[in-house]
Order: sequence, then structure tokens, then C-alpha cells
Amino acid sequence: MITPPRALIAEVTHRCPLHCVYCSNPVQLQAIELPTDSWARVISDAAALGCWHLHLTGGEPLARRDIEELAQTGHDAGLYVNLITSGVGLSAGRLQRLVEAGLDHIQLSFQDSREAPANVFAGARAHAHKLEVAARIREHRVAFTVNLVVHRGNLDHLNELIGLAEDLQADRLEIAHVQYYGYAVENRDRLLPTRSQLEASIAIVEKARERLEGKMRIDFVLPDYYARFPKACMGGWGQGLILVDPAGRAMPCHAAGVIPGMSFDSVEEHSLARIWEYSGAFTRFRGDEWMREPCRSCERKAIDFGGCRCQAMILAGDAAATDPVCTKSPQRSLVDAIVDRVNREPAVTEAGDWVYRIGPSNKVPTC
Amino acid sequence: MTPPSMTNRPALRPGCRLSPASNPESLLLIPEGALRLQGPGRQILELCDGRRTLAEIVEELYRLFPSADASLIAGEAVSFLERLHAKGTVEFL
Repeated sequence: MITPPRALIAEVTHRCPLHCVYCSNPVQLQAIELPTDSWARVISDAAALGCWHLHLTGGEPLARRDIEELAQTGHDAGLYVNLITSGVGLSAGRLQRLVEAGLDHIQLSFQDSREAPANVFAGARAHAHKLEVAARIREHRVAFTVNLVVHRGNLDHLNELIGLAEDLQADRLEIAHVQYYGYAVENRDRLLPTRSQLEASIAIVEKARERLEGKMRIDFVLPDYYARFPKACMGGWGQGLILVDPAGRAMPCHAAGVIPGMSFDSVEEHSLARIWEYSGAFTRFRGDEWMREPCRSCERKAIDFGGCRCQAMILAGDAAATDPVCTKSPQRSLVDAIVDRVNREPAVTEAGDWVYRIGPSNKVPTC
Repeated sequence: MTPPSMTNRPALRPGCRLSPASNPESLLLIPEGALRLQGPGRQILELCDGRRTLAEIVEELYRLFPSADASLIAGEAVSFLERLHAKGTVEFL
């Protein structure tokens, strides 16, 4: 018997008013979107299957007019409902309706503590609006997380960023170093922090955690290119999370589309329970049967599951390889070369150098 | 942190709530996770409504668990709530 998923990640749309230079959405964005009743069925199925959490994400989930209705469906099914948003489109009225629908948690992203660079990283003039939205959120009794994606361009403002989250009275602060998927791969040499920046960030977070204990919880995600061992990506392939993309394709993670030969079953054709148990996309790397050496005999295989399959694909061109960030990987030199290059000569990035996330149905940002 | 006083009124933080009673497992659902509740955990948290003081909660627990050692109940309930406070899921109003 396979353990059920604990969270449904509902990527309800890929439309987004922001164009973040590290967006983890696939570079091939999905223009087709499931209708409301299909999403409602998927959400109810997820609860019946054993999920605890519903993450409404995108793109920008508020780009859909029915997001209040989907939050209500999740709440009625007994799920803990989380909205992951840029804040764009979160008017006082919509926020009120979402809270009334039973929304438990809002995660609001910021791109920097300073307006000008924040707008450059987002490819949109959104920062000032986000500040207004944050104040609005705090008027409601809902968990409020500030999400900060950090990288070479904003890491020197980390103390300021933590101060911003405090000023906004966040319950929780998520500081995540960029992970290199989607658009972040395109901008990798501009985003990867230097080793001294990384070390400084670890010390700053440690201090802030101590100071803010019991007031604001801080979750911190490190850049795995600097790690000795890979991250336990998604808590293991097909172990606890199921993602459904805008078109209704069920995936073990948001980046799995980079792996050749994957076929993702549609929630329009199969039940979520059936997909979870039998879909080839989920069984392909579930457990350890697929592993080769050095993973197969590694004592850490039950800890990190060989790392991330998508990262193995992106870096080594082989999804079944050991994640190249692992020091035991025969391909670790691929990662070292990138890290060395960035530390030797961190490129100076001009605003015009960025590759922005564009589409579907978006114009090139003018910022 | 300084330990809570018996006049504090513990409450779950926003976005922290008990799983519906219909769930097979008793959980404290929190942002990005869940904590499994064991023993009297659920009963303690059901009393943390932001209105009852810690002293009143302990009184209630004496009534709910008449056969248990009274001093043990108070000590365990307080340390349980302190642990949840450190995790950012309980506040002492």
C-alpha cells in the first residue's frame, strides 16, 4: 500500500503579471486551463485521497476569477488552504471573500527590500503594491508568510529583507535561495551567490532565528550547488506531493516536464487516486529500484532519495543519474565548474541582461 | 523566553488549527505542515481559545482527567504549550 499524498499543489494558471528572472515554472508555459468544475473535483479527490494541504499557486492564482470558489471547495473538503501569490490582484474585496471562504494561509512574495531592484527582478512595477497588500492581509486572522527568493543580486540586503518581514508583521518568513529550474537556469550565472555571500546569509539567518523565536518562524532553503549532499527533493519522488498543472496534467513536481519520455496523465481522464498509485510518471522514480551506483548502495538513499531527478537531467542530461550536486556523484565537477566560475569572476549584471519569464499571452516587460 | 504566567490566555496562532474531527488522525495543521497530536494534545488545544487563562485550562484538564496526577497535568500542559510557542503555533495573550 502506497502512502497517500499529503499536499495537492494546484498550479491553476501559468498567467502571471510578474516576470521573475528565477521563476521555477517550466520555460514552456501552459496556456490551456482546466475549468472550475474540473478543479473542484480534483480538490475534493485530493482530500478523499488523504491530502491535508491545498496549495493554490501558479503563475498568479488570482489571475483566475474562480479562486475564491476553489478555496471554498478546499475548505469544505477539510483541506488546509494556502494561497501563494504575488499580491497583484488581491483587492480588499477578494481578500475578504477568500478569508470568508476559509483561506488558512497566504504567502506573499517580495523580490527585494528596495523598490527599484525589486521591480527589476520581477520585471514589473509591483513592489509598492505588495506593501499595500501586506498591510491589508494583516487586518485578517490568517497565517501570513513573507516569501523571499534570495540570490546574488539581493542577498546583500538580507538584514533589510528580514526587517521588512518584521515590519509587515509576518507570522512566518521563508527565505529560499534560488533553485536552478525553469528561468533560473537561464539566469544562473547572474543569480548564483558567491561563497562569502552564502556564508554571510547563513550567519544572518541564524541570528534572526534566535532573536525572533516564538514571534516569526524562519524557514531557510540553501542553494544546493554549495551543498555536500543533495536535497530530499519533494520529500522523495511520488512520496507526499502531487502537482496538477494548469492543463490538468498530474506531475510529481513542477519541473518534471524537463525529463524526456515522461507522460503525464490527465485528471480529466483518470482519478487522482489511480494516477497517484499507477501513473508511469509517479512510479518511474518512486522508491529505489531505479537507482544506480553510487546511490544504490549509499547509506543516504533513504534520506535524500538520490537528490533531484530534474536537476540530474538539467545538469548531467540523465534523469536517473545521481544528483550532480552530491559530492559522491561522478559528475560533481559540472557543479564545481559553475560555482568556481561565479566565485572567480562574479559577473556584473545590468538590468538589460536578464532573461525574463514571458507568457503565456504576456508582453515583454518594459521595466 | 520567559515562561508563560498562569494568567496568560493561550491561543492558536492565525493559520494554525486542528484537523476536522472527521479525520482519522488528530493533527495540528500549520502553514506548510502538520503536527501529529498524541495523548491529551488535542483536548489541551481545544481549550486554548484565547479566552481561558492557563490556570482555567489546567482546571478543566483536572476535570477531564480525574485519575491523573494533578501536578503532572499542569507541568505537562505548560511545557507542551511552550514547545508549540517555540514553533510559532501558539501565542500567549
